Amino acid sequence: MGVHNSINRGKEITLTIDGKKCKSTFGKTILEVARENDIYIPTMCYLSKVKPIASCRMCVVNVEGVEGTILSCQEKATDGAVITTNNSELYTERQNIMKLYNVNHPLECGVCDQSGECDLQNKTMEFDVAEQPFTTKEPHRPIQNWGHVSYDAGLCIMCEKCVRVSTEITGDEALQLHFGGYSSTILNVKQEKNYASLGEAAAVCPVGALVDTHFKYRANAWELEKIPSSCPHCSVGCQMNYEVRHDKIYRMSNEAEFTSLCGAGRYGYDYANHNVSKDTKAFEDAVDAVKNAQSILFAPHISNEEALILQKIKEQTGAKLICGEARGYQKFMQAYASVTGKKLFGGTLKGISESKAVIVFGTRINDDAPVVKYHINMASKWHRARVAYMHPLEDAEMKNIVTQFIKYEPQSEEGVAALLVEMLLRNVDVSQNVKAFLDDLDIGNLSAESNVGEEELEALRKSMLKKEDFSLVIGADLYAHPRAEQIAKILALVEKYAGFNVVCVPPAGNAMGVSLICELDDKATGKTVGYNVEADVVLSALGNGDLDMPALNQQEGTITTVDKRVVPMHVAQPYGGYVLNDIANALGLYAEYTIDYTKTLPVEKGFKAVEFDALPDYFDSVGNEHRGYLLDVCHTEVEEMFEEVDEIDAFDGAVVYICNPKDQFSAFTNLCEPLKEEPFLLGSSQFATATKLSDADKVTFEIDGVTFKRVFKIDTSMKGTIALNPTYDMGLSAPLVSSYRFSKVKMMQDKKRGS
Amino acid sequence: MGLEQFKNRNVGTQNYTMVDAGHSPQGAMCQFKQVVKRTFKGELFVGLWVTMRSMIKALFANDMHTVKYPLEKLPISPRYRAIHDMLRLLESGHYRCIGCGLCEKICISNCIAMDTRYDENQRKEVSEYTINFGRCIFCGYCAEVCPELAIVHGPRYENASQQRAGFSLFEDMLTPIDKLNLQQEYDGFGAVSPNADENIKQTPLAY
Repeated sequence: MGVHNSINRGKEITLTIDGKKCKSTFGKTILEVARENDIYIPTMCYLSKVKPIASCRMCVVNVEGVEGTILSCQEKATDGAVITTNNSELYTERQNIMKLYNVNHPLECGVCDQSGECDLQNKTMEFDVAEQPFTTKEPHRPIQNWGHVSYDAGLCIMCEKCVRVSTEITGDEALQLHFGGYSSTILNVKQEKNYASLGEAAAVCPVGALVDTHFKYRANAWELEKIPSSCPHCSVGCQMNYEVRHDKIYRMSNEAEFTSLCGAGRYGYDYANHNVSKDTKAFEDAVDAVKNAQSILFAPHISNEEALILQKIKEQTGAKLICGEARGYQKFMQAYASVTGKKLFGGTLKGISESKAVIVFGTRINDDAPVVKYHINMASKWHRARVAYMHPLEDAEMKNIVTQFIKYEPQSEEGVAALLVEMLLRNVDVSQNVKAFLDDLDIGNLSAESNVGEEELEALRKSMLKKEDFSLVIGADLYAHPRAEQIAKILALVEKYAGFNVVCVPPAGNAMGVSLICELDDKATGKTVGYNVEADVVLSALGNGDLDMPALNQQEGTITTVDKRVVPMHVAQPYGGYVLNDIANALGLYAEYTIDYTKTLPVEKGFKAVEFDALPDYFDSVGNEHRGYLLDVCHTEVEEMFEEVDEIDAFDGAVVYICNPKDQFSAFTNLCEPLKEEPFLLGSSQFATATKLSDADKVTFEIDGVTFKRVFKIDTSMKGTIALNPTYDMGLSAPLVSSYRFSKVKMMQDKKRGS
Repeated sequence: MGLEQFKNRNVGTQNYTMVDAGHSPQGAMCQFKQVVKRTFKGELFVGLWVTMRSMIKALFANDMHTVKYPLEKLPISPRYRAIHDMLRLLESGHYRCIGCGLCEKICISNCIAMDTRYDENQRKEVSEYTINFGRCIFCGYCAEVCPELAIVHGPRYENASQQRAGFSLFEDMLTPIDKLNLQQEYDGFGAVSPNADENIKQTPLAY
């Protein structure tokens, strides 16, 4: 894990650990080198994905020539060091630490949820602590319910892992330490918020102090079968395991030592299409419908293999393939590639976490892709990175990491992109074309129209002086923008000439995979068939269509992630109905299983001809990811053709912004009980004044032909005249909403009774 | 000592000693005589008298040597492993099971199924518990592993039923709350049967 290796000077070193010669590079800690070489050093508080906590002192080692013991988790390995990791003295010291951890620890392993996967249990056994030799007066510490997780201070060993995770990884900063000797506890300072991201803290808890509330006391660790998979909700595709017993998912876990899950990933698992049997009549009708369909509409929440099947059906029947969100992304990336010469963006999430400055543009990132926000947070916490957040709407949840908020008017993104690029490429050698384009920009006018002050960008430029390793995070606002292609070309210059780690976060689910595999069309015509989308004939995994389809936790397949990785998903829930492959087979294609298509994914788009069953899915002992494979870099022709920046027609007045709350992504997450939340049209009091709405008013409006009936709610943390409108509760209609995320809508206020 | 004698398996060549078993009667007359002689011996009536005496004692003196099963049953050894019992705490009457799942885990015939949940009193509550007696082999591991002495083997050994698989629910096995005072504590492995004293006889010294 490169987290601690930022000062990796790359110098080769050799050291001896327990008589074994170990080769490594300078900058790694003794513990990391030991783990690389499969040498075991016991730890209690060490968590690979955060900075060393150094609260347990279990990892002590002896270094020849150094008096006393040394903490191997935070001491850098030096060339020629001779290290002993275990002898009778160190054993006694560790045993004493375990005796102290066991002071008053309740002997309730029989009912404790952590029993069976408890670090304290394991180490107590390992160091042969057969009794509790020390006790103390126990203060009254009741169990606290914090919503998604519960905290039992009596079981807490104060290792601080949860606090570090909530600070360094998820960035909600809800957990803090309360010092007080034996009565030290963990405090939740944001109890009113009920962060699902605290699930991440529960996942790293080595004991049963922090557990998922809905899972508490429902099953034992050893009864649950772990089914490794990847999270299909957003484009990040995090590693996760379904924990299943009696065909029921009890909870989600992940390789918490190395990776993280957001709230939706951790609690959004119960969306399977249950109790489906083969309905032959409906199947035959569906096959006929697909055969005769002129357009196939689908949501981007499908696997790569299903996308390929749809593409093959298109080739067979000539139907149009419509997937609005993926289409926007596809066009954006094609334009982007025409500048960089590579089919995909060059950045990675790890690159973001190692940056010294991050610019976020065109996305409400904490809601769109929480795990990307986690990586921005890591950069902020580990490297004190400057975080510039460019968006028309400020995000209160990002305030603790954003160093500069740059506000612009909706629909002025093209101008903002041009201003940004002009600023970043000011002292960089660029090609003739680009130079001409940049010189032609009317900075003053753009600045005035988009409302981005020149001095704001100047401040950003200054803050980035004398630093290197920068990231640019681009989001879904831009893909659906009417001038998306031009914006893509402009921003591609940042990757090409300014050397930024640019990440274009795909707008939804497997939008990246779909955009690579399918030849998508813009507009639907004639008879339509929808796959998880409202249409004439609907195939639905939500259980409300003409033919049932399996949800993504009921089928095997791969998805493509923002890290340009093709990762496998496995079956966690039984399914008895028909799948898309059956329809394809009935249309004359032939594959026994959907995953037979894995090896035929298009190689020219970067996929590899690998069998599904040959895809690896694990992390090695030092946290290197071996999940699926990385897409190959594909080159395309470079043509730096720029149009003039279009007249900016910025919105003013009351505007609605399509945005789901951070624990909701789609109709699938909406089915999950732990994530249930009421959908509101959220706006500031300023918005309320501008639209003459008051709290709890019912309004009706229409976006992209979808009618929204919403209750308006004033959110005091918001400012400005832009309201947030979610789509996760819209079921099959949600994927139809795929135009530019900001829209001026006509609000019809429902008549109040009695007035 | 060599092993040759053991390796010699050719039994045909060994020397047998014939036992003197008397003579069988020769001819039909001799056989008839033997039958009459054996039938009309005085001992016949001795035997009939013994039976008669026992019958009279059983009928009129209420002195019987057999157990009138199923009206009567012998006390059973605590080591006997019959249908499980779920015990309660004597003070509170709450069931002892804490839902740790060890019995389910250790069960080698996979016949125990349980579900637990978080109850209002912040306890781990057993919401479902069944034992499939069509599968149970009465090995006793569940009782042995139970940390709370909650599941024990009871004395109910009559498991004839009309179906091959019979289930028992938690409530069926649980001590009825009104019979809490009659709840038998499990004496542990190696305990003697409750009527052990009665069964004690003097060691016969001379045969």
